[in-house]
Amino acid sequence: MSARIVNLVVNGSRKGMIAYPETTLLTGLREALGLMGTKRGCAQGACGSCTVLLDGEPVVSCLVPALVVDGSSVQTIEGLADGNDLNDLQQAFLDGFATQCGFCTPGMIMSAEALLARNPDPTLEDVNEAISGNVCRCTGYERIVSAILDGAHRRRTRAAATASPEDRDALSPAPQPTEATS
Amino acid sequence: MLTDVHLPQTAEAAVELLQDGRVLLGGGTSLMARLNDYPSAPTELVSLRRAGLAGIQPSGSTVTIGAATTLSALLNDQRLSYLAKVVRSIASPPVRSLATVGGNLFVPQPHGDLTVALLALDAELDLLNPDGPSVQSLGDFLDAPVRRDQLVVRVRFSKPGPSAFRFLKAGRRRLNSAAIATIAAKVQLEGQRVVDIRVALGGLAAGVVRARHVEAALVGKPLDAASLAVAADEGLADISPRDDAYASAWYRTRVFPVHLRRALLGR
Repeated sequence: MSARIVNLVVNGSRKGMIAYPETTLLTGLREALGLMGTKRGCAQGACGSCTVLLDGEPVVSCLVPALVVDGSSVQTIEGLADGNDLNDLQQAFLDGFATQCGFCTPGMIMSAEALLARNPDPTLEDVNEAISGNVCRCTGYERIVSAILDGAHRRRTRAAATASPEDRDALSPAPQPTEATS
Repeated sequence: MLTDVHLPQTAEAAVELLQDGRVLLGGGTSLMARLNDYPSAPTELVSLRRAGLAGIQPSGSTVTIGAATTLSALLNDQRLSYLAKVVRSIASPPVRSLATVGGNLFVPQPHGDLTVALLALDAELDLLNPDGPSVQSLGDFLDAPVRRDQLVVRVRFSKPGPSAFRFLKAGRRRLNSAAIATIAAKVQLEGQRVVDIRVALGGLAAGVVRARHVEAALVGKPLDAASLAVAADEGLADISPRDDAYASAWYRTRVFPVHLRRALLGR
């Protein structure tokens, strides 16, 4: 079978990539589009380092044939920062020392982004479940979990600060922030 | 190696493509993992992603779910809240966004926990064959050899009564673990006595099975620890566990009575 063009909207921009039958969304993002932030850890869907948002849903991109997602939108770790300004979740990871080797980090953050889009005020258990498919060999997970809770709080606080008075009444008050120990 | 990937727009087109040895692709959480790691003969995939087979339709007391519906879609549907703990016990969010209801019927043991729940719920399947549609109970479907030329189109079951559906999956981790033992049941009680019961098991045999000896031992009895101990003893005839990376056959046999009791009594 000859190569086909797969059209995607990646981090808000239209991209066309050449795909073969064996091209996965992961290999397409990395090799055709040069987006190396998404990692290949196991190619089994077990480690989560390849997690991206596909049409808003977190997926393990190593298991998705590129040819079946023509026309979809994809969000990767590269789409979160605004130039050199990290988003609130990324900044919380940095401030909370939640990343050591960094290999799991893009997948962790994308899983967390999916969580916060659905649930802006997650519990500890919600966070544990959201990252249950993302393996980390370095940190022991504690700082990752508290960074996600911290990032969630920062996002709610910013949303409350920019909200209209009517919206502000409807928003629940922010809980005490989780203090990252240094 | 993959030589082509097809995206039929209808179930009929998918079935036609299956007739020449092409391989069905649901969410890919089982098949793509295998293809990524092991060499394969030239293989053409038939993806169901665009075939219009996803969707959840409750109609009165009957629930109909398209075979390409993802596990996360089940979790997000408030009308299926009794299945939430089943879906949450399976893998993790980025896998559940891909994994399909239909695909779960075909995964090897000790996976397939949604199938265990569906068997306890007396599900039936709408199938599409080369010569037209057919309907089959999930139990009969699981007993028959796998057909490569046939498509599972829909799963259908009656919504269980309040607190009739019980489910427990024992794994190595609290989240994201395959089963040591999975137990699903649909119980009909009159007072404390069991009037009717379905019990399905996962992780305890070569496939997902009905625990018919457990069921027979419980009908007419009170649903309590004493009856369940007797039923578990009878139920040893229902299970034939194997050793795998998650647990040994010996261990599964040993803990089966405990998990049966916990599944049905909640303690």
